[in-house]
Amino acid sequence: MPKEIPVEPAAALARAKVTFSDIPVCDYDEPIAEERERRGDANLREILRHMLLVREFETMLASYKSTGAYRGIEFAYKGPAHLSIGQEGAAVGAALALSPDDHIFGSHRSHGEFIAKGLSAIATLDETALDAIMDEHQHGALRDTVKAHLGGDGKVLAENFLLLGVLAEIFMRANGFNGGMGGSMHAFFPPFGAYPNNALVSGSSAIATGAALYKKLADKPGIAVANIGDGATGCGVTWEAMNFAAMAQYDTLWSDPRGGRPPVLFFCNNNFYGMGGQTSGETMGWERLSRLGAGVNPEQMHAETVDGTNPLAVADAVARKRELLLEGKGPALLDVQCYRSTGHSTTDANAYRSRDELKAWAEHDPIVKFAATLTAAGVMSEAEVDAMRESVGDTIGAVTRAAVDPAIAPIVDVPNDPTLIGDLMFNHEAIDLPEAEVPVLKPPAQVANFKSIGRKARFGLDDEGRPLSGMRAITLRDGLTEAVLHHMLHDESLIAYGEDVREWGGAYGVYRGLSDIFPHQRLFNAPISEAAIVSTAVGYAMEGGRALVELMYTDFLGRAGDEVFNQMAKWQGMSAGQLKVPVVLRLSVGSKYGAQHSQDWSAFVTHVPGLKVVYPATPYDAKGLLASALSSNDPVVFFESQRIYDQVEVFRAEGVPSEYFRIPLGQPDIKRLGNDVTVLTIGPSLYPAMAAAEELATQGIETEVIDARTLVPFDYDPVLSSVKKTGHLVVVTEAAERGSFAMTLSANVARFGFSDLKAPPRVLGSPNWIVPGAEMESTFFPQAHDIVDLVTTEFFPARRANRRGVRSWDDIDLARRAL
Amino acid sequence: MTSILVPQLGNEITEAEVTEWLVGEGDEVKEGDLVVVITTTKMAMEIEAPASGKLTKLSAEEGDLVEVGAVLGEIG
Ligand SMILES: Cc1ncc(C[n+]2csc(CCOP(=O)(O)OP(=O)(O)O)c2C)c(N)n1
Ligand SMILES: [Mg+2]
Repeated sequence: MPKEIPVEPAAALARAKVTFSDIPVCDYDEPIAEERERRGDANLREILRHMLLVREFETMLASYKSTGAYRGIEFAYKGPAHLSIGQEGAAVGAALALSPDDHIFGSHRSHGEFIAKGLSAIATLDETALDAIMDEHQHGALRDTVKAHLGGDGKVLAENFLLLGVLAEIFMRANGFNGGMGGSMHAFFPPFGAYPNNALVSGSSAIATGAALYKKLADKPGIAVANIGDGATGCGVTWEAMNFAAMAQYDTLWSDPRGGRPPVLFFCNNNFYGMGGQTSGETMGWERLSRLGAGVNPEQMHAETVDGTNPLAVADAVARKRELLLEGKGPALLDVQCYRSTGHSTTDANAYRSRDELKAWAEHDPIVKFAATLTAAGVMSEAEVDAMRESVGDTIGAVTRAAVDPAIAPIVDVPNDPTLIGDLMFNHEAIDLPEAEVPVLKPPAQVANFKSIGRKARFGLDDEGRPLSGMRAITLRDGLTEAVLHHMLHDESLIAYGEDVREWGGAYGVYRGLSDIFPHQRLFNAPISEAAIVSTAVGYAMEGGRALVELMYTDFLGRAGDEVFNQMAKWQGMSAGQLKVPVVLRLSVGSKYGAQHSQDWSAFVTHVPGLKVVYPATPYDAKGLLASALSSNDPVVFFESQRIYDQVEVFRAEGVPSEYFRIPLGQPDIKRLGNDVTVLTIGPSLYPAMAAAEELATQGIETEVIDARTLVPFDYDPVLSSVKKTGHLVVVTEAAERGSFAMTLSANVARFGFSDLKAPPRVLGSPNWIVPGAEMESTFFPQAHDIVDLVTTEFFPARRANRRGVRSWDDIDLARRAL
Repeated sequence: MTSILVPQLGNEITEAEVTEWLVGEGDEVKEGDLVVVITTTKMAMEIEAPASGKLTKLSAEEGDLVEVGAVLGEIG
């Protein structure tokens, strides 16, 4: 189907002007009398108290980093302390305008935001709700500890719970909010709307956008906030996320009941510096950060620059943006100016700024200014301010005394349970799919591609054993399509997106026909933003959705490196299993187009803990394994080889079932039996291995071919049993040999099957140089004759055949030459 | 009389499926009108009328597999 929106030359080429509207800068001008009227004096005093709590909490951390003690309590804190001293007006002001249903996603410098959000949630929630939250978390264990050692009732208890939970987490103790697996830069507590902080600059921008997308599609209350710095505006993913949140299609093409754009606020804590790089005047060209919005959409992201030294100005701006977001008019951008008066970290020598600058900003310290405003207006006396300071100090002192004490905040006991951390990486859960089908635009039976699939043979060989063409029998592509169709039909929380997935049906046609069945909000064309594609999926999943996303070529993985390796892979572990990240990332491995479009990068993803990794090679396996991946509550990376999308089923005489089925992840599959040599293959290497096995059989060598199918998890038993019988192993992969997963497989079989091996196991992969063009590929990717050459020359030299491949090189020599 | 033919579809593709006729037997067509959609394993393709006139014969039905070069219909 062609696009619904025509591109009209007359409109595109007509003479016109693009205009911009003015961007407000520090526009807040509310008399304090009005604020007293609106908020009440008690609440204004609470704003000061919250800022003081954040300040004292971070002062305590600073004191540990510089002196090893705070209020006489000694402790060696070894973790990071990116403090936001001077920026409390931004954190507390924002929290004031947010409800517990609004979810904030932070940065490396987000202790203040977390605490402020928690305090604001505690102020908002009634005691029954707070009790329920504390009762549920760790089955009430943290609440009981707080009660026993810090005391308090109602909201006081809840505040102590918040402060001990976050401090124990910063100290990476077992009863920290995230079981000690997050720490200073990653702490979070969803019941208060405080979602993960992120050690990667701008890591939260696309995650928050995905969270907002979930709120929109699942019609959940509240907004998502990406708390990022000014330096973060130099990160590609920030731009990708802002655009992703602003795509026109939400208005022009989507038909979800709520409508509008994802409610996400990009809240830039603009402290004018990265670590030492100055954003205004040195590393960025924007001059005013709020200018960025004008490049994103006609609404200019409703961007404003705000005086972040005044919590009331921040609260006012956030409240106004929040309203726009809830009306579907997002995304919004706030440039919140809040000078950081201490170092980036406690090792910061402050060499990059002058004493005069620091002194000038000291006069704009948010706490000093706000206390002065309140006393001048008669909201409280100076003596009351002092008493408040003292009481806050006592609170933080008591919490600190508890947190440093291993009897109260126990150290994570890894020696007692050596795989404790490992056990938190995966939940190994699979969902059940409801019987009922979701509403569709058109039933699959009426869609051309599914009619065509319906006419195909389910087995790929004819009566004489000759392969049928992909037009006449189910292909690997069709197997994938059927699995996706079934999940999309039965799981409304699943959305699928990537580049060109609708009209093209994905660059290789795996989604062909699906755009006739599913509306845009279930299946949509994403911008060419690989980082945002992956990280929005992570945010979407963290909130409770499920996402199927894809990169057109595995070679583009680098563009989503952080998003796959740090975000998708790690949040289950860093949340001690509290978060689930059911994301399936399809990666298509290319061929024929040379060095930047043909690489098998499975080694990168298998290397990073936290990802399950699948690489099927047959239509049956592709369908059953993708069904398992889509049912999994763990993140899965799913490799597909472009060379075998048209491959028909040649192994399973019963054919590929047209019904839905799952193949458990982790089971290698014996594709051919033999007694003399075991060939373990990864992905499409199965086919040259089968051809080699046929040829070796003519020489009297019987090959057992095992298809790895899944790389993580991996069950070694079938391979070890095979090697027990054959005594020989070759692992074949299209990945470059050095550092490949095949090397891991080979090393482990050498170790566990040592006594059964008659020769060292061999890896046959691609050489450690660039993938050449189509006509040279047969000299590069392992071919059947390369496998035959290897087996005959190395394992059965007596039956030596003529070598036909080009691999006569000396690997030791190549290594010396960086190859 | 002009035949509507299955065009060359790329190096490795020898056949396609007739997915949908956009016109029926006996209809008048103009040169350049889209008349039929065919699908290969790689893509769907819309085929234009090679001449103006009346579609006198449909030689392939929806769902049929046709070889490159085969006649899909005749315009008289
Ligand atoms: C992707 C990435 N690059 C670099 C760093 C190292 N780093 C940590 S904080 C920081 C400065 C970030 O500046 P900004 O976004 O303004 O936040 P601020 O530290 O000022 O709060 C840098 C470069 C990182 N953590 N992540
Ligand atoms: Mg900064």
